[in-house]
Amino acid sequence: MHALTRHIHPGWLIIAPLFLLVVTLYLGPILNILWLSFTDPEPGLGNYAKLGQEGAQLRIVWTTVRICIITTIFSVVLGYSIAYAMVHAHRQQKSYMLTLLLVSFWISILVRTFAWLMLLGRKGLVNVTLEDIGLIAEPITFMRNELGVLIGMVHYMIPYAVLPLLVSMQSIDQRVMNASRNLGASGTQTFWRIYLPLTTPGLVAATLLVFILSLGFYVTPAVLGGGKVLMVAEYISVQLLVTLKWGTAAMLAAIMLMGVLAMLWIMSRFMKLSTVFGGATR
Amino acid sequence: MHDKQFKKEMLTESAHAYKAGRMDRRTFLALCGASGVAMNAVLAGDAEAAADYVVMWNWGGQSEECHGSAIGDAFTANTGKGLKFDTSGPLEGKIREMVDSGNVTADVADADLFNAVSLGPTGHLEPIDYSVVSKDKTLPGYALEHGVSVILYGYAFVYDTEAYGDNPPQNWADFFDVEKFPGMRSLYKWANGSLEAALMADGVAGDALYPLDMDRALAKIKSIKDDSLYWGSGSEAHSMVVNGEVSLGMVWQNRGRNIERDTDGRYKLVNNQAMAMPGAYIVPKGNPAGAAVMDFIATAQEVPAQLALLDCLGMTPSNPEAFSQIPDDQQPYAITSAMNIDNIVYNDPDWWGKNGGDAVNAFLEAIS
Amino acid sequence: MADPTQIGSLQIRNVSKFFGSFQAVNDISLDIQNGEFLTLLGPSGSGKTTLLMMVAGFLDISRGDIALDGASIATVPAEKRNFGMVFQGYALFPHMSVRDNVGYALSVRKRPAREIRARVDEMLELVQLQDFADRKPGQLSGGQQQRVALARALCFAPPVLLLDEPLGALDKKLRVEVQEQLKDIHRRVGTTFIYVTHDQEEALSMSDRIVIMRDGAIEQVGTPKELYERPVNRFTASFLGKSNFIEHAGKAFALRPEKIDLHPGNSHADARLRGTIRSMTYFGSMQRIIVAADNNTEIEVDIDVWRNPSNLAEGARVDLLWEDTAAVELQSG
Repeated sequence: MHALTRHIHPGWLIIAPLFLLVVTLYLGPILNILWLSFTDPEPGLGNYAKLGQEGAQLRIVWTTVRICIITTIFSVVLGYSIAYAMVHAHRQQKSYMLTLLLVSFWISILVRTFAWLMLLGRKGLVNVTLEDIGLIAEPITFMRNELGVLIGMVHYMIPYAVLPLLVSMQSIDQRVMNASRNLGASGTQTFWRIYLPLTTPGLVAATLLVFILSLGFYVTPAVLGGGKVLMVAEYISVQLLVTLKWGTAAMLAAIMLMGVLAMLWIMSRFMKLSTVFGGATR
Repeated sequence: MHDKQFKKEMLTESAHAYKAGRMDRRTFLALCGASGVAMNAVLAGDAEAAADYVVMWNWGGQSEECHGSAIGDAFTANTGKGLKFDTSGPLEGKIREMVDSGNVTADVADADLFNAVSLGPTGHLEPIDYSVVSKDKTLPGYALEHGVSVILYGYAFVYDTEAYGDNPPQNWADFFDVEKFPGMRSLYKWANGSLEAALMADGVAGDALYPLDMDRALAKIKSIKDDSLYWGSGSEAHSMVVNGEVSLGMVWQNRGRNIERDTDGRYKLVNNQAMAMPGAYIVPKGNPAGAAVMDFIATAQEVPAQLALLDCLGMTPSNPEAFSQIPDDQQPYAITSAMNIDNIVYNDPDWWGKNGGDAVNAFLEAIS
Repeated sequence: MADPTQIGSLQIRNVSKFFGSFQAVNDISLDIQNGEFLTLLGPSGSGKTTLLMMVAGFLDISRGDIALDGASIATVPAEKRNFGMVFQGYALFPHMSVRDNVGYALSVRKRPAREIRARVDEMLELVQLQDFADRKPGQLSGGQQQRVALARALCFAPPVLLLDEPLGALDKKLRVEVQEQLKDIHRRVGTTFIYVTHDQEEALSMSDRIVIMRDGAIEQVGTPKELYERPVNRFTASFLGKSNFIEHAGKAFALRPEKIDLHPGNSHADARLRGTIRSMTYFGSMQRIIVAADNNTEIEVDIDVWRNPSNLAEGARVDLLWEDTAAVELQSG
């Protein structure tokens, strides 16, 4: 016991039971998924081999990654503009904007998805209005395709992009911006050379958050994609619930998990991830 | 949702109190009235929990109320046992998970007959006790070892009368003909029905569909992919039609009546070549109520229950005895009515039970 | 780049600043010569930083005008004024090396890389940071950061350098050292320095002229010596150094503690006041003695320790003496 306590801080012993519980609850299911992916329906690498053999599964993964990348780009760029506007708005307007942003968190994804159909569907408000004033003869197909999926996903993701950016922008010292102007830099120069680099941790955090959340998207692509935009999350759910190919589902889940971990690892080579996730800069 | 849950709990409490004599009948009825719930529904539900009950695993929505009034009441009258619901939807994966986990909480699942074919041999289902349940009170071939068809639903289509009023589409060949009938159409996303419709459109006879020629069916599906949307739930199929997103929509036939009503008759149901799907009751292995559940299934087979389900849910009877008693106003919508029965085709649960998983994946890969 | 010694005079004309109904700066006029080291001195809330921010262009002028060498700059944006500035807390760019920080002004002016490099080397030599060019600001000490900020602000040879409490974050010993360096750099570059501080010692030791401010207005302007020797009012006299205040014939006088002489006993013929020593505090180079005078006032006296007569002790009776010129008559206020 003495030898033990010499190496382990007593604080650890106090939290050890909780720590073990958390580790078990997190790692247990993940290990179970990995196990399934190698054992169902029969032991071996069969599920992984199939990913390479069957073009369809690779295509679904690629569709997912592509949609997530586009969603992330649009969400983060739009989120950056919104966060910028919020930081520079008057206090009153800023609190209105923040309220609107937070309210959108409370609206269920299903409601939002169907709201887009009402707005941009074939007989939606926008198309009907445009037809009525004679701007278009045929309705524009915003929905039930990849465009619809992107609109729905970007809309859902923007608040997730705004929050980390907001934190990052609020922590910038106004005097540093003033210093740049004082030294003769134009607004544009100050933005690109000072503001953007200083908000990079927020940008990276927003990008990671939005991208990782997007990977799990299911309802929006299923409804707004008109059935033609099949993303991994939905495919996994079908394999679990309908076709009972649990090995395939586990394999795809494992691939996604590894993909995200690999992404974090690569990013950690370029920057300290602790600064991205709210740690101190130094 | 919360509100509903609260009312239910309040009434359940009251029902117990009423039974125990702590509350007089008048107060109890007033409470029921205030909550808009019939007393027998409460007594048939949680109130019986204290005694003995059967848990039905269905899909929620209206079916909870309909199963209670169509089957539950009679079942309670016959056996003194109550009926409870799990409305989370008995997808095949969930049934397998429940049985594998050893924590079986449902007695009977409102599922498809092909589920009985795929889950039966793997030991996830109890066999149907045909000394209690009748093989004659369903269509031939639809009383299987691990499941029996209690109702039929079907894949039919609706069309836009304003688009094709003079020369309406009459069969699946028309449905797949984008030259003659331009416009968007919708198909079921999980392959079922869509594959058969494609084959019939391609000239395969309705009684020679199985085993399905997958390549041929998928080629046909792909040929109209640019003009197709795919739905994954009944409400989605409904809204695609009602919102005018499609001119031709494959739908579950029991939705036909509501669609005609919601569009003021603009969309019309076509039952020619409709595919009858055997909806079945299956029993998860090791169900808590044991053999009592067979009485419940037998009750559901009876003509009054069959007609009540048609009235309440639009699900067509599978008991031939009930066919002739389908009321006039339901004739166009019930696929086993005298009006439709000669023009429909029948799903083969055996093929789907054995090949369904691969078929769904192949279909998904073709449309995405 | 123009020769900074030829330009850099500032004319501040009747400048006021309002924040809503609050008047932070009240009708200030001031002429600053080129090459001058001018200090704005005052307690917090006196409007000195607000005035500096208007000169820098970060705040609009509510009323009045500011001109550089006679030409109004009131509407010129901050980035076009070409004034160097050392910020409170330095405001260095944390993601850039020392070299990039110092060269920033030239880099945004799109000067050739070779010129920037040479000029940055020159500036780093001026502030003695040649060996730290590739460090990030976060890796430097406070004093070093302060010098980077100075080099950055002077790199583009601005006609005017604004310094906003630049030594506020340094400890006292370091501060004295940096004051020397600042004065030295001012002499070498010849730029007009406008220096904001609330520290009177800093102001006295470095400035050519000091502007004492209170409540948004100027109390007194002058060389350190003028201000110390001839404060015009009670505020100036007490803010800059210590002072006793004496009433005589209905007039108020300021009397610096070190200008009073003490004689033991009550025998001196020229005694202006008599009293009893209440306390004595030893400060090394001098001794502070509080005398309870017989006219019911307290007088503070600083005397050199080496002159301390051995018979001075707490409780002893003393005579207080001073020259006529030592007492400065004050205006009211």
